[in-house]
Amino acid sequence: MKMIEIDHITKDYGEQRGVFDLDFSVNQGETLGFLGPNGAGKTTTIRQLLGFIRPDRGTVQIMGKDCFSCADEIQKSLGYLPGEIAFIDSMSGMEFIQFAARMKKMKDLGRAPELMEQFELNANGKIKKMSKGMKQKIGIVCAFMQDPEILILDEPTSGLDPLMQNRFVELILSEKRRGKTILMSSHIFEEVERTCDRAAIIRQGRLVAVDTIEKLCSGRHKRMEITFAQEDMAKAYAREFPKAEQNGSKVLLKVGRNVDDAVKKAGAYTVTDLDVRTQSLEEFFLHFYGGEKND
Amino acid sequence: MINRTLYQKEWKTNWILLIIFIGVLTMYAVMIIAMFDPEMGDSLRIMAASMPQIFAAFGMADVGTTLLDFVAGYLYGMLLIAFPAVYIIILSNRLVARYVDNGSMAYLLAVPEKRKNIVGTQAIFLFTSLFVMLVYVMAVILVTSWFMFPGELAIPEFIRVNIGMFGLWIMTGGIAFFGSCLFNETKLALGMSSAFVIYSLLIQMISQVGDKFEVLKYITPFTLFDIDGLTAGNGRAWIACGVMYAAGIFFFVAGIEVFKKKNLPI
Repeated sequence: MKMIEIDHITKDYGEQRGVFDLDFSVNQGETLGFLGPNGAGKTTTIRQLLGFIRPDRGTVQIMGKDCFSCADEIQKSLGYLPGEIAFIDSMSGMEFIQFAARMKKMKDLGRAPELMEQFELNANGKIKKMSKGMKQKIGIVCAFMQDPEILILDEPTSGLDPLMQNRFVELILSEKRRGKTILMSSHIFEEVERTCDRAAIIRQGRLVAVDTIEKLCSGRHKRMEITFAQEDMAKAYAREFPKAEQNGSKVLLKVGRNVDDAVKKAGAYTVTDLDVRTQSLEEFFLHFYGGEKND
Repeated sequence: MINRTLYQKEWKTNWILLIIFIGVLTMYAVMIIAMFDPEMGDSLRIMAASMPQIFAAFGMADVGTTLLDFVAGYLYGMLLIAFPAVYIIILSNRLVARYVDNGSMAYLLAVPEKRKNIVGTQAIFLFTSLFVMLVYVMAVILVTSWFMFPGELAIPEFIRVNIGMFGLWIMTGGIAFFGSCLFNETKLALGMSSAFVIYSLLIQMISQVGDKFEVLKYITPFTLFDIDGLTAGNGRAWIACGVMYAAGIFFFVAGIEVFKKKNLPI
């Protein structure tokens, strides 16, 4: 069953900004990653899902209800984490969480205490004086505390340190096991890779792909930089891979599915250093979609 | 219809603003009443005679001899219009446009409540806080008058003037609230409400200075608040008063409707 359905929506802000004929859906119990570089239209899409803006054309529905006209009904089962978090500055973190809970018509704070512990959040200070990471944690607590069926998260890990990013991934995975439907936007592929079943990729407001993570990953390349003990080794190694670049004792190599081969062959020599750089999302798009730029 | 959590939150956030304004108004009200002196001839009148134009601009020309005339002339002609107008400009901006401008409106709307009810709560908050201000100001004037000059103030006329003044507040409030709902940026919302108030007041002041400019009174909505007419209880003044209430309610409703339908950059 489709929980979130985006049906050929267009929201044109002019100058190539906005979203154009976007069409994908999220099934019940599925975690979908919504990937794209900054300014690709992720937030514009999410605003339409929340009923803040209306599409010029097309429809957006959650649980079969129109996102604009039935926003209040949808909100009963929705948890939302905004991309640019703005709270009410004059409140303390705890006051805000209590306020948000009452606004959501919750009887108590729900899962908030448990979540605050999980994210090591002390919310007693004034929000105005909090760091980006602290605010992000409050946002996460507010999105998950009512234990909603559907979660829409706009760049949920921004501002979090690596430890907390891991905690967040654990949280998503456990929510997934509990059957929640999650739409999560990100510009970091790894984050999506670790948590999502499928990903929708958007660029310049247009959908470029919706596919399973495995499929998307198979098109992905890594750059391996191997430093050998001697230049001869590097030369010998580089000969085995036609596209490898050799520079002194270093070999620069693009690997995709042949990673196993590359590692095993390197094992025949003395490796003094190894550096693996993953493609940025932008590079990934260029590679995966034939390298053509449409601007 | 209204969201109680939000309504309470607004009281918690904005009570200080109300206290400041009613504090200032208390000071003026007590001071003006204290200057009234039925027997000795009053000092303000002497001052007024020394600079008639300035006093006229502030609606303080030809102030009569009763305590009601005195209070109506010196308080209701300018002070009780200008200060509450500033309060309305600040508060109406805080209630809607500021939440949209800084993005926290996302949290007010990501709740199981219709947009209409969220923004309606804000309209009702503005209305009730103005009503509290009105009741308080009336109480201060009544108590001070009773304490200093028992039996001097004509109560029914005084109440009629206040009904008219509240109409003017509601009209100003409605227009400012409409601006707050219409614009996504606080500077535009503040600009619209301030422009309305400054324009209306300035034209009113100029129109009162002399016969030459009297015709200008037809282009400022504040003329609808006809103090003398209300004191005398004449029909035209009541119609004008009704127009202010109607305009105020119209703009409140229009603001809510605009907000319900608009795209929000949050």
